[in-house]
Amino acid sequence: MQVELAQASFDPALRLSDFTAALGDEGAVVSFTGRARGQSRGGGPMSALVLESYRGVTLQSMQVIAGDAHSMFAITASLVIHRAGRIVPSEAIVFVATASRHRRAAFEAADYLMDRLKTEAVFWKREEHGGSSTWIEPTAKDREDAMRWHERKE
Amino acid sequence: MIHAQLDVELCGRLADSCGPSLRLTIPENGLPVTAMLASLARAYPAVSDALGRIRIRACINETIVSEEAVVRPGDTVALFPPVSGG
Repeated sequence: MQVELAQASFDPALRLSDFTAALGDEGAVVSFTGRARGQSRGGGPMSALVLESYRGVTLQSMQVIAGDAHSMFAITASLVIHRAGRIVPSEAIVFVATASRHRRAAFEAADYLMDRLKTEAVFWKREEHGGSSTWIEPTAKDREDAMRWHERKE
Repeated sequence: MIHAQLDVELCGRLADSCGPSLRLTIPENGLPVTAMLASLARAYPAVSDALGRIRIRACINETIVSEEAVVRPGDTVALFPPVSGG
């Protein structure tokens, strides 16, 4: 399990390649990359997304989520990278990779990691457009997605 | 009663009205988070609206705490609005 808070842009393809090269006999590798869009939630052009984090608390929140994924699913390795700071369109915001003996665990763990990172990782996000910026609120859809796993756990 | 100064960091949108850090005078033996929020609202009317409108979580020395937790002089204190994920 490897968890990183990145202050600068990174190459998801390179990180996936390194992750895969370090594996043993796993039969499945799943990855997901979340990228900054060029369009704001309001529909206008977006110049950048700014993610604010807080000291050690942000990384710790990501580590808890990754630890839970390892407890819930039969994955043997995971890599979670989350950007902070100013992210321009088409740059990666978040990357997760999971590996397991068979495919289902790797798929489900990646899905789970993303749902919880979206709702529980300690970040505050705003969109910059022109000379102004708008804070992004957590959405009901994101919360619903994360709740699926709570129901399943019970 | 002896008092001490405490700097409270404001995260996310909470920093919009008064900046990223506010100074508060607290009793030397500390005060609970709920009382600290009330003191902040009284001292800084511009943030009182945001403090009352959204659910705030307090963080003391890099640990998210309950409203009953006690803030003491020398603590590193921050207030979190709801997080908005990646």
